[in-house]
Amino acid sequence: MAKLTIDGKEIEVPDGTSLFDACRDARGEALPHFCYHPDLSIAGVCRLCQVEVEGMPKLTIACNTGVRDGMVVHTRNERVTRASTQILEMHLINHPVDCPICDQAGECGLQDQYMKYGLYDAEVEMDDKVNKAKAQVIGPHVILDKERCVLCTRCVRFCDEVTGTGELGIFNRGNRAEIGTAPGVELDNNYSMNTVDICPVGALTGRDFRFQKRVWMLKAASSICPGCATGCNVRIDHEAGRIYRLKPRYNPEVNGRWMCDKGRLTYKAVHEDGRLGEPMVAGQPGNWAGVSGAVADLGAKEGFGLAVASPHLSLEEMYLLKKLAGEAPVHGGLTDADRGEKDKLLLDADRTPNRRGLGLLEIGQGDGSALAAVIKGVTGPILIHGGDPAADPAVTEALSGRDVVYIGTHENATSALAAVVLPGAMWAEKAGIFVNRDGRLQEFRQAVARHGNAREDWRILAELLNVGGKEDAPGSLKAVRAGLTSSIDPGTDLNQLPERGFVPGGEVR
Amino acid sequence: MSFEGLPKGSGDKNRSFLESIYLWEVVRGLRVTAGHLIRNILHTDDMPTMQYPEEKRVYGDRFRGRHRLMQRDDGSAKCVACQMCSTYCPADCIEIVGAEHPDPKIEKYPLTFEIDLLRCVYCGLCEEACPCDAIRLDTGIYEIAADSREKFVVDKEFLLNNDTDGTL
Repeated sequence: MAKLTIDGKEIEVPDGTSLFDACRDARGEALPHFCYHPDLSIAGVCRLCQVEVEGMPKLTIACNTGVRDGMVVHTRNERVTRASTQILEMHLINHPVDCPICDQAGECGLQDQYMKYGLYDAEVEMDDKVNKAKAQVIGPHVILDKERCVLCTRCVRFCDEVTGTGELGIFNRGNRAEIGTAPGVELDNNYSMNTVDICPVGALTGRDFRFQKRVWMLKAASSICPGCATGCNVRIDHEAGRIYRLKPRYNPEVNGRWMCDKGRLTYKAVHEDGRLGEPMVAGQPGNWAGVSGAVADLGAKEGFGLAVASPHLSLEEMYLLKKLAGEAPVHGGLTDADRGEKDKLLLDADRTPNRRGLGLLEIGQGDGSALAAVIKGVTGPILIHGGDPAADPAVTEALSGRDVVYIGTHENATSALAAVVLPGAMWAEKAGIFVNRDGRLQEFRQAVARHGNAREDWRILAELLNVGGKEDAPGSLKAVRAGLTSSIDPGTDLNQLPERGFVPGGEVR
Repeated sequence: MSFEGLPKGSGDKNRSFLESIYLWEVVRGLRVTAGHLIRNILHTDDMPTMQYPEEKRVYGDRFRGRHRLMQRDDGSAKCVACQMCSTYCPADCIEIVGAEHPDPKIEKYPLTFEIDLLRCVYCGLCEEACPCDAIRLDTGIYEIAADSREKFVVDKEFLLNNDTDGTL
């Protein structure tokens, strides 16, 4: 442990801590910085985090200095604040100050730090600034504006160290230096949009979000990415019922500060065409009032013959589905769309968010041919919840002539052959729990309003429980979770899951 | 309630004879009316009434009338869709959708720019917030009339060529 004095405050930090982190602890806020990033190597190129260490003749950058016992550090005296203001001015010398058209405006390191540490009068005329290329497409997801760049090299280090793909580099020298890709190289890896997140200015912006919304208008909801079994923690940025982007939410146990590009675009499905918005009975649009009768007419009063659970459902929905099935078998239906290529960082080969949830509730799983065999072995109406099992021709054939009730979100092969189609909610339109590939129970919350007349899935299942005459149909999601807690006994109250999730039986992977 | 201290009038029970027959009081009232009539006929220039709409009141230069969008040299909107105005707008009456401009020097332009004139409070904060001098309320137009609510939501083309009379 090293004891040091920062701004007159004594703190003790472990040996090997960087002075930058020690200053953050002591000050309660980080030093001004561009190039420092906790998950990347130290570059020391922005020179903003300079502090005065007594005994050293010159100011020193905190990010590249280790703590030493007995250090006396000043971070707020006049010498330090003058230095950071002047260095910030240097960074802004050639900056185009085109904040009105810059997507970063509102969450920009230059804007924030100018207001905090700058507030000087610029001495460079707009006409004297060095002009560089603007709005360059450098990959399928990223646009580069070389004028706005402050050459912090975060993106270069990210591509070198995290993805190991090394597409980006710094070319030329002096005030002609610029970030770029080598000729013929594109920033085309599955993590390219993380460079947009870590870019402290508006040099790298996302093509998907480009000009869609000013960031200060967005509202945030914490959620879990439904793209694969990893269960990256995400923040849904939405406004007026529309999702505009997903951003990774820091969880050191799951995804750190990153998430993949595939996951970032999963929100598109929420707003795409072909969403189910009204209950359909025998191919005709109906209303919720008539649903109970229609389902009862299929013979569901005596219970369903089979329930098919998709691994895209939340844990609560799987639990209710199992309860609804009662004695009848419950089958976890997987389709070809649920598998893909695995990569070495975050993306899992299993493209479903909650397959471990099926295992936790002891629901058997199988692919199309296994499901077809199960269907042929049962009598009575079949309830299919989520996914699109009928995409498999074997399942379609087995389902022909059977009474099918389908709870889903999109028009697909299964909704086409179902007698009763009930519109459910997409993951961003409801709350629930996913179990990721490590068995971590993680909660996601509702961000936007449901499409059309769609309902939360647990409500639909509760209504179907009422059709079957089961008296213990839950009246709230809280009640569902209470029932689930006593059913699987995970060792914690599922209504009060910690922010970073919970692994039943400890943190062992 | 007490009527003490009030001039003689309807509340006063002790009317004089002339007052109680009313006729004299009517004549007195007509004298005031006739006096104004004759004075106005002799001095029509002093009359405060304006012959609107043939004659219109002249407002000062700083009067905030209906909005207009400023144009570039080629006639396109100067606006870069930064949405500062719609952020600042206390009435929340400006709706802008940005889009990619083919010229990378301009980069962003408003695909749509709509103002709900019924919602607008003509406070002028939008022109104050605008970093590009793209919106102004200096048309001096204060007559804003239409026969449906939808017509009060004016679009970019309308605002760019805002030289019509008040009819929307």
